[in-house]
Amino acid sequence: MIPSLELEFRDRLGDEQVASDPLDLYVFGKDAGLVRGEPGLVVFPRDTADVATIMRLAGRHGVPVVPRGSGTGLAGGAVTTGPHVLLVTTRMNRIGGVDVENLCVWVQPGVINLDLSIHTTPFGLHYAPDPSSQSVCTIGGNVANNSGGPHCLAEGTTVNHVLAMEMVTPDGDIVTVGGPAPDPIGLDIRGLMVGSEGTLGIVTDVLVNLLPNPPASRTILLAFSEVQHAAATVSGIIANGLIPAALEMMDQPMTVAVERFANAGFPTEAAAVLIAEVTGHPSAVDAEAELVRRLATSHQATLIRIASDEAERKRIWLGRKSAFGAIAQMNPDYYLHDTVVPRTRLVEAIEQTYSISKRHDIPMLNVFHAGDGNLHPLMSFDGSLPGVMERVDAAGKDLIEMCVAIGGSLSGEHGIGMEKRDYMHLVFDEMDLDAQARIREALDPGGRLNPGKIVPQGSRCFDFGRPPPVGTWV
Amino acid sequence: MLRLRPSAAGGDLGVSLATSAREGSGLPAAAPETMEEAAGLMANLPAGGDRIRIRGGGSHRGIGYPVTSDVVISTSRLDRVVAWEPDDLTVVVEAGVLVAELEQMLASKGQTALLPEQPGTGTVGGAIATATSGWRRHRYGPIRDRVLELTLVSSDGRIVTAGGRVVKNVTGYDIPRLATGSLGAMGLIARVCLKLWPVPQASATVPVESPEEALEVAYRPLAALETREGAAVFLGGTREEVAGQAAALGAEPVPGLNWPSHPSGAVRFSVRTPPSSLRGIVDRLDPAWTYLAQFGVGEVTVAADEVGLGELDELRRRAESLGGALVMLDAPAAVVGAFDPWGTPPPSIEIQRRVVNLFDPGRRINRGILPGRI
Repeated sequence: MIPSLELEFRDRLGDEQVASDPLDLYVFGKDAGLVRGEPGLVVFPRDTADVATIMRLAGRHGVPVVPRGSGTGLAGGAVTTGPHVLLVTTRMNRIGGVDVENLCVWVQPGVINLDLSIHTTPFGLHYAPDPSSQSVCTIGGNVANNSGGPHCLAEGTTVNHVLAMEMVTPDGDIVTVGGPAPDPIGLDIRGLMVGSEGTLGIVTDVLVNLLPNPPASRTILLAFSEVQHAAATVSGIIANGLIPAALEMMDQPMTVAVERFANAGFPTEAAAVLIAEVTGHPSAVDAEAELVRRLATSHQATLIRIASDEAERKRIWLGRKSAFGAIAQMNPDYYLHDTVVPRTRLVEAIEQTYSISKRHDIPMLNVFHAGDGNLHPLMSFDGSLPGVMERVDAAGKDLIEMCVAIGGSLSGEHGIGMEKRDYMHLVFDEMDLDAQARIREALDPGGRLNPGKIVPQGSRCFDFGRPPPVGTWV
Repeated sequence: MLRLRPSAAGGDLGVSLATSAREGSGLPAAAPETMEEAAGLMANLPAGGDRIRIRGGGSHRGIGYPVTSDVVISTSRLDRVVAWEPDDLTVVVEAGVLVAELEQMLASKGQTALLPEQPGTGTVGGAIATATSGWRRHRYGPIRDRVLELTLVSSDGRIVTAGGRVVKNVTGYDIPRLATGSLGAMGLIARVCLKLWPVPQASATVPVESPEEALEVAYRPLAALETREGAAVFLGGTREEVAGQAAALGAEPVPGLNWPSHPSGAVRFSVRTPPSSLRGIVDRLDPAWTYLAQFGVGEVTVAADEVGLGELDELRRRAESLGGALVMLDAPAAVVGAFDPWGTPPPSIEIQRRVVNLFDPGRRINRGILPGRI
């Protein structure tokens, strides 16, 4: 089936847009997570028309299509579950004209997140979601996973910043959802698409909202001798009516690793380091920074340092955002987890993370978005050693179950993909999962897009006796 | 005043409609006390008498195509505050809780759900079903951004929950966002978890000449509103920020948020455009009409006692050509019959139809109310 499809792709798109060498198929067989697949074919569309052509041709051959950006996803969302067509969006990387009056811009899905903010800098504007991988991850991938980042505490995640999008449906039709005006009429399909991990349609152009750069900011580095004190400071800040732009925490093992790598001036003897950033009107930030300082003092902070200039501020953030690079120096492999708990359960979640780490003998370093209870335990290991991968899997399972048990959810910003699909029953009952499957059925009845992701098999359980539609890959 | 009450236990399935009060419409009506009761009630309606209309506080009755129904399900007794976690900034409430009462309760601990500021008899479920945001959306975003978890009761008796009670989540499809603004067509919106915000330490209302110019000066104020009586910028933040921003605006601030009243009239409609095009719409409004324009957002709510269909048509054409819409909020039957309440259906209308048909098999709840007569 694939050889004839490959010939058609080469004929319609050109040889330079199709890859099928074993090495290509191997390289594109993985994202930044743990699972590996092997696509049947890799295609690189240049525009929306190419995407529509790919969907139609693949549909005619009954071969599913899996979209992929830079492959920085951590849940296997862009990994094929069979010899499917992998559609890589990185050549669709045009940024449209910035609408400075309405603070928005159309961008193609292959645009790199950081490139967008660099592009809008001359206008005094920025795109708020800033995942730690922002120098490599794509806007399309951000839309697929509803990505956040350190600065989503006050400004929200991707879904809060997408006004409209053009998408190609599984049938190859081109549809625009949402719009430049508030509250488009009818159901919010635009909002549904964000976080749908390429299972409902392929996003080919995105109208994103831009924010004015804050006129002033204060970045405060805090250190504590106990994790509880840092967590209490976080709660105290929010209880005092302040939602800072960012509230990021790192535990000691992570701080040590980062400091060795980035020399950001983090105190390596502290049990927890907290980065708080307040942004806004010049008359606001000093008062807010003072509030943070006062609360940190009352919770026995061992260090309170307000960045004195932009260079120091940048160094602090570079340190925070190079956490994952730092880990790469410790062991050949790392795996970054992503779960959410109610913020008031943070300390409990961290303590349990340490005991899970000990139980499975897998070192875990913690970096997290403390303000919204989003944990990122980072496992560091050598997967080539016997039995290690099994321990990594078991520790991951324990982490997820622990977070759900204390009122949390499976993923804050990395998505469900393949990795967490079979944990969906921990948070949803069979009727809830059936509803998830109905969404899938409404938009992709033939199962042509990214099969095997998000919704566990057999979820559509409240309609009996219905055969799977033609073309479904099970 | 609302108090926290635990969710009522299962209860009898299937309240008898015959014993329930009849509401003003002359239709049999029921007000289930639990989600389970609502599910049993809707699933067991007799064939031929099973078209359902949902009723909340009645403040958005005029939205959408007219609905023909056999029974009315009221959310008035689904009125519990199920959980309030001030330290997590979340609250879980049932649909029939009054917006005014919820906000009063939240204010007791300095919090807000940013629901509409002048809700009248409006319920939380009604605000969500109609996607009605408060004026503070300029700063905090629309109501959709705050629905973290949502439970639907389908007309075939399924109780479906999606989302989660955490402030950041990407676990499964965002059904809460999809159901916000669905006018009940995907199922009765029965319970929601909302993200809360702290009420800023200080606030002020600053009268201004031009809201557009004021938005160039002020950094992300709560709102910039204009009516026939004048315009004002609404500020919130620390005392230092409010004083500093007011000084920059060069006007004397009035402490507190003195929101203007909703425009009232026999006909009410909303025009939505990209923010920079709003002045062009406001300038075209008939001088006899009243309005409340949200600058920086791109929406103007208009009220009139008399409208010409030609005038409405022209406004709608202009709004739609800019990528916006003109939506009727309330109108007498004569206007509803002659002027489409939604306008041109969006390009994704067939996708929307498939979603609704799968969530409400047989299309029994508020049938035909949405764009495309879904």
